[in-house]
Amino acid sequence: MSSFFIAGHEFHSRLFTGTGKYASSAAMIESLTSSESELVTLSLRRMDLKNQTDNILQPLQQQGMKLLPNTSGARTAKEAIFAAELAREALETNWVKLEIHPDPRYLMPDGMETLLAAEQLIKKGFVVMPYVHADPVLCKRLEEVGCQCVMPLGSPIGSNMGLASRPFLEIIIEQSRVPVIVDAGIGAPSDAALALEIGADAVLVNTAMAVAKQPKQMGKAFRLAVEAGRMAYESGLAEKGVQANATSPLTDFIGALS
Amino acid sequence: MRIMLNDVCHEFDGKTVADLLTSLDKSQQGIAIAINQQVVPKSLWSTTELSEQTQVFIFESIAGG
Repeated sequence: MSSFFIAGHEFHSRLFTGTGKYASSAAMIESLTSSESELVTLSLRRMDLKNQTDNILQPLQQQGMKLLPNTSGARTAKEAIFAAELAREALETNWVKLEIHPDPRYLMPDGMETLLAAEQLIKKGFVVMPYVHADPVLCKRLEEVGCQCVMPLGSPIGSNMGLASRPFLEIIIEQSRVPVIVDAGIGAPSDAALALEIGADAVLVNTAMAVAKQPKQMGKAFRLAVEAGRMAYESGLAEKGVQANATSPLTDFIGALS
Repeated sequence: MRIMLNDVCHEFDGKTVADLLTSLDKSQQGIAIAINQQVVPKSLWSTTELSEQTQVFIFESIAGG
């Protein structure tokens, strides 16, 4: 399986992961380790001054994972830029997963604010990974302003509904000159495999691994699915068709009975 | 000195952002500081002086997303 690059950084794993919704930090580390993910996203919040929070940075860094701060919670371009600047200080990285969702009920990404923020963040030297609808026009615009990849959604975030946006993802993949990472909605390893089979460069999985009864084993299941999907894509999938096309000749056998 | 820290009144001994952080029993890994909506780079924590009632926000990295 081939590796791929974002902003000159080589990734051997095509499975990106999130850190939310795990029952414990220990379960998260186990799951992410067995997934062999090399990029993991984190959020930034106002510090809880009354309670100690688990230090999750150290164990993630010990596993050699690249940390990708996200701007979750931002409702506007202005808030997202502020969040990205804070994250650059906090995690000492100029990479940012840009997510702007004004509506907390559905967490739908705001395309217009995302494009505005992306343009400004790129001018400030950030590597911008925008989470957006599976909108081929918007993805192209983001690429044109300098985003190093695009992250269209498969279906609503946290919904586990798989690749509901498949036809649009296929257009994005076909015309994109930057890596396409399918983010959100991937509920099963088969969804991840399908994303890779249709040519996505990677997927980002969080909920499906985090809420599994056995997150460690699910991490491995996703790793294998992503590898299988990519290998199938690189091998070249057989074309689909309704007409029968036997894999062995039948005529000689029938002829022998007459 | 008395400042507003994450919207709560906070009293500590010292003058600078670094003094403030020392007064808090918190890990300083993965955190960021903003004063008046401006991010204060780590390199300036020890020289950035605070004054009474300054609005300071501290952010930390958490699981999510």
